[in-house]
Amino acid sequence: MFKKLTFSLLVVLLIGIFAVNTFAASGSVTVLGVWTGGEAEAFKKMIAPFEAETGIKVEFTGTRDLPAVLTTQVESGNPPDVSALPNPGQMVEFAKAGKLVDLSTFMDMEVLQSDYSPTWLDLGTYKGKFCGVFISADLKSLVWYNPKEFAAAGYTVPTTWEEMIALSDKMVADGKTPWAIGFECGAASGWAGTDWIEDIMLRTVEPEVYDLWVSHGISWLDERVQRAFELFGQIALNEKYVYGGSNAILTINFGDSPDALFTTPPNAYMHRQATFIKSFILDHFPNLVPGEDFDFFPFPPIDPEYGIPALGAADLFAMFNDTPEARAFMEYIVSPEAQEIWVGELGKLSANKRVNPAAYPDDLTRKAAKILSEASTFRFDGSDLMPSAVGAGSFWTGVLDYVSGVPLKNVLMTIEASALDAYRK
Amino acid sequence: MKKLISIFSGIPLHLVIITIALIWILPSVGLLITSFRSSADVATSGWWTVLQHPFNFTCYTLENYREVIIRIGIGKAFWNTLLITIPATIIPILIASFAAYAFAWMDFPGRRLLFVILVGLLVVPLQMTMIPILRVFNKLGLAGTFPGIWFAHTGYGLPLIIYLLYNFISGLPSELFDSCSIDGATPFQIFKKLVIPLSLPALASVTIFQFLWVWNDLLVALVYLGGTPDVAPLTVRISALVGSYGQDWELLTAAAFVSMILPLSLFLGLQRYFVKGILAGSVKG
Repeated sequence: MFKKLTFSLLVVLLIGIFAVNTFAASGSVTVLGVWTGGEAEAFKKMIAPFEAETGIKVEFTGTRDLPAVLTTQVESGNPPDVSALPNPGQMVEFAKAGKLVDLSTFMDMEVLQSDYSPTWLDLGTYKGKFCGVFISADLKSLVWYNPKEFAAAGYTVPTTWEEMIALSDKMVADGKTPWAIGFECGAASGWAGTDWIEDIMLRTVEPEVYDLWVSHGISWLDERVQRAFELFGQIALNEKYVYGGSNAILTINFGDSPDALFTTPPNAYMHRQATFIKSFILDHFPNLVPGEDFDFFPFPPIDPEYGIPALGAADLFAMFNDTPEARAFMEYIVSPEAQEIWVGELGKLSANKRVNPAAYPDDLTRKAAKILSEASTFRFDGSDLMPSAVGAGSFWTGVLDYVSGVPLKNVLMTIEASALDAYRK
Repeated sequence: MKKLISIFSGIPLHLVIITIALIWILPSVGLLITSFRSSADVATSGWWTVLQHPFNFTCYTLENYREVIIRIGIGKAFWNTLLITIPATIIPILIASFAAYAFAWMDFPGRRLLFVILVGLLVVPLQMTMIPILRVFNKLGLAGTFPGIWFAHTGYGLPLIIYLLYNFISGLPSELFDSCSIDGATPFQIFKKLVIPLSLPALASVTIFQFLWVWNDLLVALVYLGGTPDVAPLTVRISALVGSYGQDWELLTAAAFVSMILPLSLFLGLQRYFVKGILAGSVKG
C-alpha cells in the first residue's frame, strides 16, 4: 500500500510540475475584473474582436473579491497587467503608492479629451497623472414605476420632491401604497439605503459640500446631513407610504423589492433604484416590455438651485504593468467600438461620447444615457468612496437603524464615532 | 412483554432523534428543490410551495444544472480541483504522520520547543500569511502553478494534522514499541509496521478533514493560483457564476450539488471502511 501511494504521489507531482504556468505568457495581457456571471460573458464578447484583430490573448479573471485579490497581488509584487478598480478612491491609493502607469505617456490625449467629458477625465487623474479610464457608468438617481398602472389610476410623473410627496399622499388617499423599498442584501444589507441619502444630499447641498461630506470634511451631525436623513425618513418612516410598513424595508431583498410594482393590483407604485435593476425585473418577469410595462423618471430635484444631479457608479480601468500588450488593450477599451459591445450587452451607459446611441439595447437605456449626459452634476456613489468601516459599515447599519426606529441623533452619533476612527488612519 | 415495553420506551428518544435529523436536513432539502426550479419560480415563490403538488413535474427543470455545467466548463474545473486536492491531501498527511510519530516516540534535542512552536502555529490566521508567501512564490516562479498551491495547503494543514495525529499516536501503548525495539526493529520499521496500521482510524479522519478543506477552499486557490480557466478549481468557477449584484443565485443551488457529488459519494462509499478501521483490533487486546 505504501509503495502504491508513493508512486501515485510521484505521478501527480510530475503532472503538476509540467502543468501550465499561467503567469506572463508572451503575447498576452492579464486582466482582473469584478465581473462574474452574465457580466463576465459580456466582457468576453467585448474583447473577442480585440483578440481576433491583434492576436493578443486576454487572460481574464473575474472575482467578486476584487479588492482583496488585487491588493494581495500588488503587494506581493505580481499585479495583473490591467485591472478594473472598484472606485476612484482605490485608484488614488494605488497612484499614491506609485503602482499605476501614467496613461498619458502613450494614449492620444487629444482624442480622449474630445471623446470624454471632463468629469470622467478629472476623476481618472491623480496629481497630473492620468491613471484611470472609465468605460461605462451606472446611473442610480432613478425612480422606477409602472406606466400602465400610473395611466390607469390617472397619476402623472412628478418633477419635484413636493410633487412626489403630493402624489404619494394622493395614492394613500386612494387606499394604495406608493413605495416599494427593500434594503436586505445579506452581509451588505443597507447599501441600497445609502444611495437614497446620497441622492438627497446631492439635491440639497452644493456638490462641493457633498465632496466634503464624503471626505469627512463635515461632521455626520451637521444639520445638512440630518436634513437628508429626515427627508428620507419622510418617505421611509411613513408606515402608509411603504409596502409592508417600515419594518419590511429591513427584510425585503433589494432585488425582490421592485416585484411589488408588477403584481395585479400593484402592491406599490414607485421604486428608487439604479439602472441595473432592469435585469432583476426582467429576470423575475420575463414578459414585461421595457418602456411599456416599466419605466423610470429621474429622482426629482429637492432644492431647485441644485437642479437634477446624477449619482452613479462607473467601471474604471488602470494599468499596473507597462507592456505593449497592455497598452494595446487600454487603447482598445476606451474606443467606442469596444464600449458599444459592452453597453449593448449589459445596458450600462457608455462614458465615451462617440458611442452610437443605437448601440444601447432599448429606449429605456437611451433615456438613462440622456439623463446622465444632461445631469447638472455627476457624483460618485459616496459610500463607495468612504473608508470601508463607514461606507461599507456604519453607514449601512446606520440607515437600517434609522429605518427600524432608532432616533436620528443616536444613528448619526454612531456613524460619526466610527468615522472619527476610520478617517484618522 | 418486556421487549414490547423496551420498544415503547424507546419511542420518545427516536422521535427526538428523527425531529433533530429532519431539522438538520431541511436546508439541504430546500437547496435541492430550489436547484430544480426555474429562475422565475425561484424569484416569485419559496421552494416549500412545490410541496402543495410535489408530483406536478412541470414545475421542475434541469435548466440550472445544464447552465452550470456549460458555464463552469465542468470537465476542466473538476480535473483542476482533483489535481489540487489529491496531492494537497496526501502530502501533508504523509509528512504529518512522520512528524507526529517523531514527536511522540523519538527523542531528539529541541523536541519540546519545536512542538510548542507547532501548537503556536495553529492560531496564525492564514490571511496574514498571503502577501509574504506570494512574494516568495513569485521569486521562485511558483505563483499560479499547482505545486505552489500544494505547498500552500501543506503548510496551512500541517500544524493541525500533526497535532491531531500526535494526540492519537502518543496514546498507543508503549509496551508495543518496547517489544518491537527488543525484536530489533528500526524506527522506520516501527513506523511502517506498527504506527501506520494502528493509527488508520485517525489517519482516515484527518484525511476527511483535509480533503474537504481543500476541496471547498476558495480563497487560497484564488490568491495563489488565480482564476483563469486553465487552472481554476470548481470553487473559483462557481463563485464566478453569480453576477456582481447577486443575480442568478439560483445557479448556485445547482452548483452546490455538482461540487458535492464527489466528496459525498467518496465518503458514503468508504464509510464502511472507515468504521472498520476504527474497530479493527479493538477486542484482541
